[in-house]
Amino acid sequence: MPHEPIQIKHPEPLAELFRLLVSGRHLNRAADAALWVALERNQADYGALFEALGFALHVDGRGFAFFDSEEGSAQLTQNSRKLALLFLVLFDTQADAGQALGRFEDWLIDRELLEHACEQHQEILQAEGMDADGLAEVLGIAVRYGFARSEGGGWRLLPAVCRYLDHFEALAAECRAEQGEDDDFEAEDDPRGGANEEE
Amino acid sequence: MEYGFQYLALIGSANYDRAILPLHAPVSLIGENNKGKTSLINALQFMLIIDQRRMNFGAHSLERSKQFYFPANTSYILLEALLPQTGVVVLGCVGKGVSHDYEYFAYTGALDLEDFRLPNGAVVPQPRLVEHLAARGHSVFRYTPGEFRDLVYGSGRRRRAGEPEFGVFRLEHASDAKAYQQVLTRTLRLDRLTSDEVKSYLLEIFRRDLPDADIDFKREWDKAFAEVHADRAQYQAALKQRADIEQMARMHDERLMLRGKVTAWRPAIDAALEEWESHYTRERQQLIERGEQIEKAQAQLLEDDRARVGRRSELEAERKRLDAEQEEQAALERRFALIDDRRMLETAVAEAGKVLERHLARLAQAEGYALADLERERADYQTRLQKLEQRLQNLDDNLERRLQQTLPPEVGAKLAMLLCEDALAAGPARFELDSAALGRWLQDMPPPRLRLPGLDLDVSALTPRPPPQTAEALHRERARQRRRLRELDEQIEIARGHEAALRQKQALEQARRDAEQALEDYDRLLALRAGSSQRAARQAEIGQELAQIQEALDGARSQSDRLRQEAARNDRARNELDAAHERIGRLREARADRDPVFEYLPELPARPWLEPLAITPERLADALQTYQEDCRRLLELNRRLEEHLTLLHAGGLSKFQYAESPEEEIRHIIAFSQQLDKEAEALEKKARSAVVTVTAGLRELRDGLGSFQSRLREFNKLIGLRKLSDLDTFRIEAVAQTRLVEAIDVLINTAERVDSGDSFSLFDQASVLDDAAVDRARRILIEEGEARQGLKVSDLFRLEFVIGRKGERPENFADLDSAASNGTVLMAKLITGLAMLYQMQNKNHRIRAVAYLDEALALDRANQRSLIAVAEKFGFSLIFASPAPLDTVRYCVPIQRVGGRNHISSQGWQELEPLQVEQGAAS
Repeated sequence: MPHEPIQIKHPEPLAELFRLLVSGRHLNRAADAALWVALERNQADYGALFEALGFALHVDGRGFAFFDSEEGSAQLTQNSRKLALLFLVLFDTQADAGQALGRFEDWLIDRELLEHACEQHQEILQAEGMDADGLAEVLGIAVRYGFARSEGGGWRLLPAVCRYLDHFEALAAECRAEQGEDDDFEAEDDPRGGANEEE
Repeated sequence: MEYGFQYLALIGSANYDRAILPLHAPVSLIGENNKGKTSLINALQFMLIIDQRRMNFGAHSLERSKQFYFPANTSYILLEALLPQTGVVVLGCVGKGVSHDYEYFAYTGALDLEDFRLPNGAVVPQPRLVEHLAARGHSVFRYTPGEFRDLVYGSGRRRRAGEPEFGVFRLEHASDAKAYQQVLTRTLRLDRLTSDEVKSYLLEIFRRDLPDADIDFKREWDKAFAEVHADRAQYQAALKQRADIEQMARMHDERLMLRGKVTAWRPAIDAALEEWESHYTRERQQLIERGEQIEKAQAQLLEDDRARVGRRSELEAERKRLDAEQEEQAALERRFALIDDRRMLETAVAEAGKVLERHLARLAQAEGYALADLERERADYQTRLQKLEQRLQNLDDNLERRLQQTLPPEVGAKLAMLLCEDALAAGPARFELDSAALGRWLQDMPPPRLRLPGLDLDVSALTPRPPPQTAEALHRERARQRRRLRELDEQIEIARGHEAALRQKQALEQARRDAEQALEDYDRLLALRAGSSQRAARQAEIGQELAQIQEALDGARSQSDRLRQEAARNDRARNELDAAHERIGRLREARADRDPVFEYLPELPARPWLEPLAITPERLADALQTYQEDCRRLLELNRRLEEHLTLLHAGGLSKFQYAESPEEEIRHIIAFSQQLDKEAEALEKKARSAVVTVTAGLRELRDGLGSFQSRLREFNKLIGLRKLSDLDTFRIEAVAQTRLVEAIDVLINTAERVDSGDSFSLFDQASVLDDAAVDRARRILIEEGEARQGLKVSDLFRLEFVIGRKGERPENFADLDSAASNGTVLMAKLITGLAMLYQMQNKNHRIRAVAYLDEALALDRANQRSLIAVAEKFGFSLIFASPAPLDTVRYCVPIQRVGGRNHISSQGWQELEPLQVEQGAAS
């Protein structure tokens, strides 16, 4: 028996969702609740359709979705590099301040925090020709790609930042493994701080 | 004996001519891909799912599936089951022909495919089935799909007469039928079980522990806070306009007071006005009369004063004259202090007369000389004599002589004509003469001209100078002049004596007049001496009389002042009376209490006027004025209170708008405003109470999540009984959607703190309505709730499959398919599905069903055995589908193909007896 065509039961939000995702932006449950729910409820249909169109939809249960693309434009790569630097600096600063990294959505990133992060990472930022204004500009890029949103005179990070956090944690785990320090990976030094772990 | 499915049979269905499959033990269904293995198993959906809407044939539609399974009315799907209450039964489904529809039937007894064959070898068609089976001793019961579903799932349907109990599944809860069927559908294709389906099924299975309804959080919040927001708006409106309300309260208070006052005053004012006219007329007449009396007294007083002043002037003049005489006498007394006899004065007068007469006689002699003329003449002669003396002195050498000597005579004469005599007589000491130069200069002048710088004079008409006098002539002239000088000196001497005599005459005349005056004055002294005593007496009388007059005048002045003051008072009183009359008239004409509101004033709320009411005619005007002002003020207050009320409404304070009257509304507003602090407290309590109310639903959700997680833990124990493949860990976790759950927790915690009461002070810092965390939580819940059209427990978590291979850290996977190898995933899905079904089944009514696993070769033998054991524990018999036989099962059933059609006969079954139990497989 031949396969039947893909049946989309709820096509209404598709156009908006596709526009959002194809622009390289991340869909966040915390920022686009309606679109997120539409995606959540029609994930199989939408995923199949996007796949048929040549896009791999990646939905992360932590509350974000994006088109997973192996290739990226030069601009995208450059932006991603800037974003990685921004998030690395922010996470490092907040970790030093005793903040649980897994709760990054709670942080209000304001000018003061950026300047503090700049002070703490002067060397690496200077090497990249970056200062607090530069970080603020990168946060603008983060907003554009759905990693952050403006709020109350600053920015708040969105769940999509988990992509970077996962990378940082993997790198940290690798380092620990190399140093033979990964014996107790479930101990309290879990960088996520157990935020997503509900009993 | 184990109850449950025994055999599945197909006749003329799904491309099978005939097929019979054992279901009471694990089966290895052998056939190449796309050769009918899945079709065979899917046939069970017609027997077990029944509800066409829930059937799932993968990519194939229901219609096409019905056509596939029931191409003719000789198509059968048959299931033999051993039931505890009825024994062996056959449940069947037979096609109805061209419509590809079908009907259900059941009968007691074992499944024998020969029962469905006519004597001619053909299959029994549907219309003849009941009759045919009856002939073979089977009492057949026919069912619609609905009846059959109720029958299979034992939902308490009333049985027909003689109808046996055909119920196959007995669930813990009949309402689980839907979920059970859904899961059961999947057990026929568990390899396609998705994570979302697991979540959905688990929610179905555990739904009794979860709250039923969705929570429309926004609606709940709005409902709970509607009153709070409304009250708060009123509170804030009152707070914002507190100053206005206080002003309104003052006006309201004043109005109450004025109403009482006006009500009390009105009759008193009316009475006083009635009495006023007679009072005014009487009072005014009295004042006029009194004014006339005063005027008369003033006129009399003025007349008396004038007479006194006249007399005083006379006396003062007289006294002045007497005083002058007194002074004159004293002066004369001093002057004639040494004279005691009038004759001495008379003698002096006579002596003076004699001396004068003698002098007059001498004077007559000196008459005829004028001293001034004589002196002038003498000076003239004196000058002439001096010049003569000079000429005599230079007679031998003078300018004239030199000119004569050094210049030609005509030239010298011409020059001499021009020079004066004195110049010509000047001696050599007084001139220097350069005769040559002078002669040349004069020579150059043509006669008869004499030219000097600026002067050209004709000298022809000049008289030539006489020749100079001789010395002798000069000496004679000098002697004559000296004689004349001496005569003049004598005449002057005489003239000077006459002048002195004249002056003496005047002095003598004055001396005689003085002597005569002294005599006259002395006579005056004598007269004054004679009247001095009378004069003194008169002076005393005058002084006395003047004192009396002054006293009378002074008395009259004070009386005049009194009269004037009295007149002024009288005038003032009359003016005041007139003014009051005019004012009262004016006020009476414009009475402010004619407004209709004053007609029912006594019926309106008022504060009783307790002060004494005494309106005398004198105070009437003022009282009336005050009354009028009070009336006007009352009207103004009515207007302003109304305006204030409108403003308060516009400012949002509409809480008491529907009071019985504006008056009542104002009273309520004022009371409300005065208790704003308490209102704030009440509002805060209400807000907290609303938080508690709104969180009741959230608490259900939150508890639901807790229950679900707790049930999931039990479920994990169930699926953890068997070790899967190389997995150390396999469990399903409900990971909370942190953002949402934390938002709920914030509200629940707030509500708990509010509920406990002892933390009241914690909230005193700020209203719970202004709490940023509460507000953020509210926003999150509203956003999510609106996006999901209500919140459910399922929105609070996502399922994650925790998989840990031996010696590795367990990892969480959202999607089971991506978590491990195919075989492991297959096992995980199968165990999960079976456990779900097990969970739903009534544990006292165990019926073994079947589960189907495609691509079974992906599992190794150990896992196959393990799966078989797990399935058995959960009450299922496994059907493994694979191209090659498995040796871990009881039956190997190959699908045979004859003429393009599939065929399975019991003769083809290979039954495998376990020789020995492998270690670990049966645990």
